[in-house]
Amino acid sequence: MILARVVVVVLLLFGVLLLTRLYRSWRGAVITDRPLHPLVPAVLLAGAERTWVVFTTPYCAGCGPVEESLRASDPGARIVRVDATREPALAQAFSVRSAPTAVLADADGLVQARLVGTEAVHRWTAARA
Amino acid sequence: MASSPRTAPPKAIDPRGPRFNQAVLATVLLVAFVANRPWAVPVLAGCLLAGVVGGPRFGPFLAFYAAVIKPRLAPPGELEDPRPPRFAATVGTVVLAASTVAFVAGNVDVGWALALIVAVLAGLAATSGMCVGCEIYLLVARRRGISVPRHTAGP
Repeated sequence: MILARVVVVVLLLFGVLLLTRLYRSWRGAVITDRPLHPLVPAVLLAGAERTWVVFTTPYCAGCGPVEESLRASDPGARIVRVDATREPALAQAFSVRSAPTAVLADADGLVQARLVGTEAVHRWTAARA
Repeated sequence: MASSPRTAPPKAIDPRGPRFNQAVLATVLLVAFVANRPWAVPVLAGCLLAGVVGGPRFGPFLAFYAAVIKPRLAPPGELEDPRPPRFAATVGTVVLAASTVAFVAGNVDVGWALALIVAVLAGLAATSGMCVGCEIYLLVARRRGISVPRHTAGP
């Protein structure tokens, strides 16, 4: 009886670890520019050559460090934080499914890159270092 | 662009506290299942309920984290709104209460099934940060127009 229970727990732990890996992988996925993205609104660009729009949520623990990482790695770029829960239409327009999601736009608002998750941002900043 | 909140936002919390709470919950539930100790389920439900109703000071695991573990750690990089994890804890309390009812009614399999669902979701939240209850809260909050404040920079 106890052996059967141990087997169940091991299977559950395996499932949790698998889901954790899948979730982290999904969050860490880097999706490059797609023509589906609309232009980043001019009010967010404010005339900057490069603008990072960082979509966050209120309980996102990794969003602040991501913002700082982008700021340090791309000092010439403007960084704008957008709370996806307060701007659901904007978040939906950029297909934001999780936070942090960082969108890089040029001066015309064209999306140059889209990074989903802290790992994707860290990979991007490491590649620039 | 952001709208102002309807009411004053609650004090932000260290997100590692709920993570610790979830890790303990998952571990104890799994150990209780292996050892066939169903009395652990209502005990854990009570611990969760205390944290939900009274706040982190009254939740035993949250209080332990705040008193013993947190002082030994660096300050958190970010703080989070307490409402999503509190909602998640409420959902966990309800499911553990249903599990307790099932045990009392003699339906042990249903009781453990419900308890293991909580264990898996709590374990997933603790290891990956994927908090299903928090996501449900935000989904409901968006639909009801509840304004949830931006996260706050850590100290």
